[in-house]
Amino acid sequence: MDAFLAGLAAVADPQILFLVLAGTVLGVVVGALPGISGSTTTALLLPLTITMTPNAAIAFLGSIYCAANFGGSITAILINTPGDPSASATAFDGYPLAKRGEAGRALGMSAVASAIGGIFSVIVLIIFAPVLARLAYQFGPPEYFALALFGLSMVAAVGGDSPVKNLMAAASGVLIATVGLDLTTGVERFTFGMPALSDGIGFIPVLIGLFAIAELLERASQRGVVQEYIKLNSARLPSLADFRKCAKAISVSSVIGTFIGMLPALGATTAALICYNETKRWSKHKEEFGKGAIEGVAGPEAANNAAVGGAMVPTLALGIPGSTTSAIILAGLLVQGVRPGPHLFNEQPTLLYVVFGSMLVANLLYLVLGLGAAKIFARIALIPDAFLWPAVFILSVVGAYAPNQSMEDVVIMLLFGGVGFLFRRYGFSPAPLIMGLVLGKLVEETLKQSLLIFDQDWTQFFARPVVVTLFLVTAAGLLAPPLLRASRRLRRVPMGKNV
Amino acid sequence: MVSGLGAEAFPRLVIGVIALLAVLAAFGIGNPPMETPPPVPPMVWMTAAVLLAFVGAVELVGMWPSAIVFLVGLGLLWGERSLWKLTASALALCAVLYGLFVRVLGGNFPKGLIANLWS
Repeated sequence: MDAFLAGLAAVADPQILFLVLAGTVLGVVVGALPGISGSTTTALLLPLTITMTPNAAIAFLGSIYCAANFGGSITAILINTPGDPSASATAFDGYPLAKRGEAGRALGMSAVASAIGGIFSVIVLIIFAPVLARLAYQFGPPEYFALALFGLSMVAAVGGDSPVKNLMAAASGVLIATVGLDLTTGVERFTFGMPALSDGIGFIPVLIGLFAIAELLERASQRGVVQEYIKLNSARLPSLADFRKCAKAISVSSVIGTFIGMLPALGATTAALICYNETKRWSKHKEEFGKGAIEGVAGPEAANNAAVGGAMVPTLALGIPGSTTSAIILAGLLVQGVRPGPHLFNEQPTLLYVVFGSMLVANLLYLVLGLGAAKIFARIALIPDAFLWPAVFILSVVGAYAPNQSMEDVVIMLLFGGVGFLFRRYGFSPAPLIMGLVLGKLVEETLKQSLLIFDQDWTQFFARPVVVTLFLVTAAGLLAPPLLRASRRLRRVPMGKNV
Repeated sequence: MVSGLGAEAFPRLVIGVIALLAVLAAFGIGNPPMETPPPVPPMVWMTAAVLLAFVGAVELVGMWPSAIVFLVGLGLLWGERSLWKLTASALALCAVLYGLFVRVLGGNFPKGLIANLWS
């Protein structure tokens, strides 16, 4: 309760309140733009936070994170193009509802379900983050090494169809994190004599390149595709009967979404897709799904916003990102010189109160904005690509250049834009690369520190119960899915039949 | 003090992991087969060329003139026919970004070789 009140008090600061409002409006507006996800929005606006204090920066980024997920549902419902991947499940029933002239009903339900899911998950964040941090306070470098490995192994389940490709992308991110001066030996690695690379490859140009520039190139490949726009001719809000019908879907999805968000690497998209299926499974009106079921909007929207607060639990308590966007927020905090983890709860409690408070307020703000100004936000989706994407590029260049005033960073951004484009073409997801990049330094540092503690004896890792448990969970997470698939395939082949 | 895991050891370990995963992927383990993607459309190559040309132009004529030309040019390439709408939106965007990043945040953007020769 104290943390809750302290959070609200921290947000009462006029400067923080203004940034929460600005972040929420920007999050909804940019999240509503087709193709610009919450991750891209956060990456694009990250450079703006460089001049802010850590408290102001986290309030701004946290609000964007909350609001962009809701913004993504606007285009999912109106033009069948999710503004954010996490809203893809919302389109299954939101678009048919809009086609029936019930866009206002779908948008209203999306706003309410999103806010309930979001607020529930922030309450869970307030309760569980300090508990997890207290547990993790006893962790030393070996435990952190095992935890970071566990986080990286979880990316196998993120995006794309290929766990191996996801792991390769994550390992590539870890390798990119090794570029620059090795702090323990002073040796330069992968700099090729270029002074600009001595400090390593900055997070900001890589993030902007992988998300914004890659998406721009993707849009270039889709020129000529005509989208069917639906007029928001009805701003009718959901009725009390709608809310009664959706109460179960919202509550179940809020719980599942928060839990999925808490697992490292798994974010809002996974939560929304799982909860869409769960909502359908638990519904008394299964036949309506896919044709415009209001529960089909409520379930995934509650889940994807609940995943936001959930994802912030490991991000703040352990320094292990719970999702791609929280990895970007973590990168923003690292740029500010703040490393999240259990020590943060003793050393900078105000920063945590700001996170709690700003996320609570952002969830309430976009509820008001969503219910009151959905029609205006819907117009944003009508900005033609020929105006939108060149502007996104200029914003990207300014964002990549501004922090270090360096054109080399712009070149790195373009390079990673190309990498991101090729990733998508060949079935790789950029999210694991980001996780690898953000966790790379932690993995290397904790491995080196652990070996020093163990006097270079690797076997000592297995003398620590937490490390062994985390190694086992990691191995199970990596090996169980392929082994289960193989056993299922074996059972399908009739006995004695030679293939 | 750091014997056992020097600066080169960790990157080598990671490259080894990537190589192992690449072998698994090549044998289709944990990597279901995917269709060969269609060829990259010419518009992507043209857009990429415009992006690169923009970076060259920034070095030559500076950030803001290049940005205005880029916004209009890529807009035309992507099918917009209203030149005045493109120009007006380009000027408006550059004015907002200049105001925010140069006037408010005090950033310095490249002025370009030509402007530097004049000054």
